[in-house]
Amino acid sequence: MALVIEGLRKRFGSVQALDGVSFAVQPGEVYGFLGANGAGKTTTMRIVLGLMRADEGTVTWDGRPAHDWPRKTWGYMPEERGLYAKMPVLEQLVHFAALYGIPRAAASKDATEWLERFRIGDKAGARLETLSKGNQQKVQYIATILHGPDVLLMDEPFVGLDPVNVAMLKAAFLEMRDRGKTLVFSTHQLDQAEELCDSVAIIDRGRLVTAGTTREVRQSTGHQVIRVATAGDDHAWLRAMTGVEILRDGADFAEVRVAAGASPQLILAAAMANGPVLRFEVADPSLEQVFVERVGALADDERTLAVAGARA
Amino acid sequence: MSGIANIRTIARREVTVRVRTRSYRLGTALLAIGVIAMAMLPVIITKIGGVSSSKVAVVAPEATVAARAQATITTLLNPTSSGSGATPSAPDFVISIATDLATAREDVVEGRLSGVLGIEREADGSLAFTFYSNDAASGRTSSLLRQGANAIAIADRLDRLAIPAADQATLFQPATYAVAWPDPARTDPVKDGAAAVGQDLLGFAMTILIFMIIVMYGNWVAMSVAEEKSSRVMEVVLNAATPFQLLAGKVFGVGSAALIQYGVVVVAGVGALVAMPIVGAKVLGSSAAAMSLPEGLTPGLLLLFGIYGILGFLLYATLYAAAGSLVSRQEDVQSAVMPMTLISMVGYIVGVYATTGLLDARSTWMAVLVQIPFLSPFMMLGRVAGGLAQPWEVALSLVLLAAAIGGAIWVAARIYAVGVLLYGQRPGYRAVWKLLREGM
Repeated sequence: MALVIEGLRKRFGSVQALDGVSFAVQPGEVYGFLGANGAGKTTTMRIVLGLMRADEGTVTWDGRPAHDWPRKTWGYMPEERGLYAKMPVLEQLVHFAALYGIPRAAASKDATEWLERFRIGDKAGARLETLSKGNQQKVQYIATILHGPDVLLMDEPFVGLDPVNVAMLKAAFLEMRDRGKTLVFSTHQLDQAEELCDSVAIIDRGRLVTAGTTREVRQSTGHQVIRVATAGDDHAWLRAMTGVEILRDGADFAEVRVAAGASPQLILAAAMANGPVLRFEVADPSLEQVFVERVGALADDERTLAVAGARA
Repeated sequence: MSGIANIRTIARREVTVRVRTRSYRLGTALLAIGVIAMAMLPVIITKIGGVSSSKVAVVAPEATVAARAQATITTLLNPTSSGSGATPSAPDFVISIATDLATAREDVVEGRLSGVLGIEREADGSLAFTFYSNDAASGRTSSLLRQGANAIAIADRLDRLAIPAADQATLFQPATYAVAWPDPARTDPVKDGAAAVGQDLLGFAMTILIFMIIVMYGNWVAMSVAEEKSSRVMEVVLNAATPFQLLAGKVFGVGSAALIQYGVVVVAGVGALVAMPIVGAKVLGSSAAAMSLPEGLTPGLLLLFGIYGILGFLLYATLYAAAGSLVSRQEDVQSAVMPMTLISMVGYIVGVYATTGLLDARSTWMAVLVQIPFLSPFMMLGRVAGGLAQPWEVALSLVLLAAAIGGAIWVAARIYAVGVLLYGQRPGYRAVWKLLREGM
């Protein structure tokens, strides 16, 4: 029982939006789907949900084609807010649940509980457009889960949320996982993926770059990084060393990659010589580091825009 | 199974949300007021235009001439409507006999009389007539009076030739005169003028109403689809429902909202028509009895009006929905629905021209045109109201219309399924055709 995506291809005119994307999501997992804008995340999700047909490839859940499952198996949170602006909050939540066959009374009770939990219980009767962006996003999340789907697909759920709301939404995610739901969400905020995801897939220009458990992906570069910080540090001593590549030159700590054969112990010794060591850690590279190495920096607009423009 | 439930859920939302809007309520109220005003129009017109009878005085040199003039003019100016036994209501003209011409003319100047007919006997013994009035010399009253004057003069001459009154009556007996169809095969009774005009008006009014229903409510559907698409609600809804369910729910939902609005308007209109004689009696007194429903407005015609209205709406609304699904912004809806608007305009114009006689409704090509499903809702009612449509013509057009609706749903569902997730530029006609052939 897993969500298996196998060899998806999709072409829009002259643009190959998906070029053989395959990965598997284990049930009960939180799965991060990582890529730049226009990499093919939304298209993949739409195909999984049956909103769009792939040119080639299959999607199965628990061994059966995805479109054979009842619609209420799936919950979808689109990237742009998809709600009725002029309809009262509770009324439209009940409407969406009713489309999945949930009785109105039960849906109303559940929705009210969720609104309370997200601290917007007083907005139940308000028209959606009167709510702040963050609150609208919470409503969108409730609309996604109210019918109790087994698989949740969420497109950039954290975009535009302030830290308080991000924390609230993360807690709600983890609760869904604890209830045995399978969560797939796309993001380009890699630190969030690293914190939440059991597994991730990285996609670039319609091709799968790598996929696996978060740990596997982080180890996939075949090297480790060292995070080091000393008191009153400007990292000048680090830059002076040979065979050391500084990946991150932060005020709090530096992250470096040592050339093959070079010993982390040399860096530790140099750090101790510089002053009291506050932090020294040999670790796998962050997802962001992996992403930069395998795909290139995320801010590389020229490359992503060509695809994004034709995404349609 | 859940398909019907989803269509109902979508339709239900469409109705509740739409009925709540201010524009819907205001529009319904305005339409109802308009219909009531139209129903009350005869009362209003009579109240404003011809409440009091016109008073005309006759001044004649001899009492017998004056009495004859009074009788002749009274019957001539107050025609009883042909055929029906005509309950005598307030007459249009009251003719009195005055003795002094100068005083009577003064009365006309002061507005107490609307005219004075002065009769004098000339030197050769014949009668001379002068009508003193502020009205135009060639007005209806004046020309009727001229006829009256001729009749009076002839009677007077016959008197002077000493023809007995009984013989005079025979002389003035009207000749036998009939109007018949040029086509010997036609046996249906020839319409009298007033009834034919009434039927033309009825067909004209129904054509306008059907056109308004289809264009106005069709636009609602297209706007509603475009709104969901531009707000991306579509994607959320489509995860739960199929494009076909969404399409059907929209059309039925908007159709129900339209039907509610229409129901209110019809109830207001019928109520006003029923109340009209009562109101008329209050406002106008006894003359209200002369007013009645338009001739030819039979229950069968009303039923057909409902059927063509609903089927026409279904045909156009599904296509309006498909057009709405092709645009990403509500501003673009008008250009997307242009093809449907043009076709309905053609049907409307041809239909109106046929009912008003600008086009020959009896020609063969009209009989063919009226069968085209996109045109029949605009054309058939006028044809039925005018008594031109054979029962089989109506039946055939309804069958064709129903078949066309099936075809339209098939086409619209395919366009819709692809269109709803198509963002960015609007596809051209060639792209739409390709979508139709290949699906998504």
